[in-house]
Amino acid sequence: MTSRPEFSAQTLSVLAALCDQPSGWQHGYALAKQTGLKSGTLYPILIRLCDRGLVEARWQDEPQPGRPRRHRYRLTSAGLASAAQALGGAAERAAELAAAKAARKVRAGTRPAPRGAVAGSTP
Amino acid sequence: MNGPKPGWRDWIAAVWAEAHAVPPGLPRLAWRAGGIWMFAREILRPRRVAKATVFAAAAAAAAWAAWPAPEVGHAAVSQFGVIVTVVLLAGLPLLARRFLGPAGPSRAGRALRVFCFAAILALIPARILVEVFADFGPRPTGYLRINNAFNSAGVHGASSGGAPWPGEAAILLIIAVYVAAFLWLTSRRARLSRATLSAGAGTGLLLGLVMYAVAPLGLGLDATNPWLPGSDVDPLVALAWLLLVGGPVAAAVLAVRACRDAAGSVPPAATRFRQGVAAGVLANLTGALFVTALGTSTTALTLTSASLRQWLYHGDRLSALALYHREQLASVSTEVYVVMCVAFPLVGLFMSLLAAGFATHPPEEIPAETGVTS
Repeated sequence: MTSRPEFSAQTLSVLAALCDQPSGWQHGYALAKQTGLKSGTLYPILIRLCDRGLVEARWQDEPQPGRPRRHRYRLTSAGLASAAQALGGAAERAAELAAAKAARKVRAGTRPAPRGAVAGSTP
Repeated sequence: MNGPKPGWRDWIAAVWAEAHAVPPGLPRLAWRAGGIWMFAREILRPRRVAKATVFAAAAAAAAWAAWPAPEVGHAAVSQFGVIVTVVLLAGLPLLARRFLGPAGPSRAGRALRVFCFAAILALIPARILVEVFADFGPRPTGYLRINNAFNSAGVHGASSGGAPWPGEAAILLIIAVYVAAFLWLTSRRARLSRATLSAGAGTGLLLGLVMYAVAPLGLGLDATNPWLPGSDVDPLVALAWLLLVGGPVAAAVLAVRACRDAAGSVPPAATRFRQGVAAGVLANLTGALFVTALGTSTTALTLTSASLRQWLYHGDRLSALALYHREQLASVSTEVYVVMCVAFPLVGLFMSLLAAGFATHPPEEIPAETGVTS
């Protein structure tokens, strides 16, 4: 039995986007563009990641003139380890799913065995 | 090292500031709408609003049912009691959240909080009805008048004696202690396991039910008779004693044995001891609150429902005076629940200290003295 994955697919996409620049700070809109998530989905994910200590947030030091200061995000060291593990696990699961799907396709393509046939009785 | 975690204002400001980076027009509008949606979902928390609404409705209903008419003797004391109880129920959780953290993650803890609040809300009208009735002590000269007027709705008049402010203050103090105790035991900071809460609550509910069967209208046998003949050798009474003393022991031992840390290993003895004592105290707290709410509510229903009186006391075979006498006895007998509310947790504490100590350090674990030869 497989255990329930720790992160949702959307959270994994945010972690993957943050992993692209592990030591650099990223803005919310850039993350939204990379992940395709809307602000109402992206920010709750960032809030939870911050609460769990996986992401750190910081206000921009010098804002652009005429614009408010922006919030920036990056993975903490714990977040980086957690993201690497989760993304690795997700890749493994994706590979398993793809293999299972391919196997199902192969099985669906073959003729079903006649009723009453015993496994191993065919030459 | 991480900086301070952003607060809600930071997050809202962050979404709003980020909107300047979004292309103007519909995308920017959608970005801001997403921020508003996040605010509504994450900050206003619909579930929290729903819980607050249910509590406000229940508290208002309880206060409305309990609110004594001005002509009733000592109405001010009763009104004060109703207001303070509602304020305690509304205010103590806010204080607890600030100083003890939010409710623990287990469902057992949340269910216990709901139980505590429901029981005390039910007690608000029940105890006021009973107190107002008990306050009009049977005065010898009034018996005949009462006998004649009994079937009319309610018995009103001036009560004898001074206003019972000390008694009311004591009851409010007990209520405050109970609410605080339940909030503490079910808080995240108390770090009680689900097994501890379940063992304590389960044993307590059983104790409460058995005590209710023994004393549905207080411990006055005249008041209870003929529902339950009641005697010291009644098996139910024996079971009640057994649960009162043995329930905390059982809850403490269960909690100590079931105590495991996140990795599934046995935690230090001090942690297991704490879980055991908490389970035992919780058992008798729950039992006392349960029997008090059930018993006082039954007595209040007896006073207000003629059909219940008929069924309970076989009123057709009793004179109105005798019936009134029974009701008076029942009303006065509810005072025993106050004694239970004070005594039961103390018994639970004492027994669970013994049981948790024994379960944490069973005799075989105590190292034998070495170097002593006979």
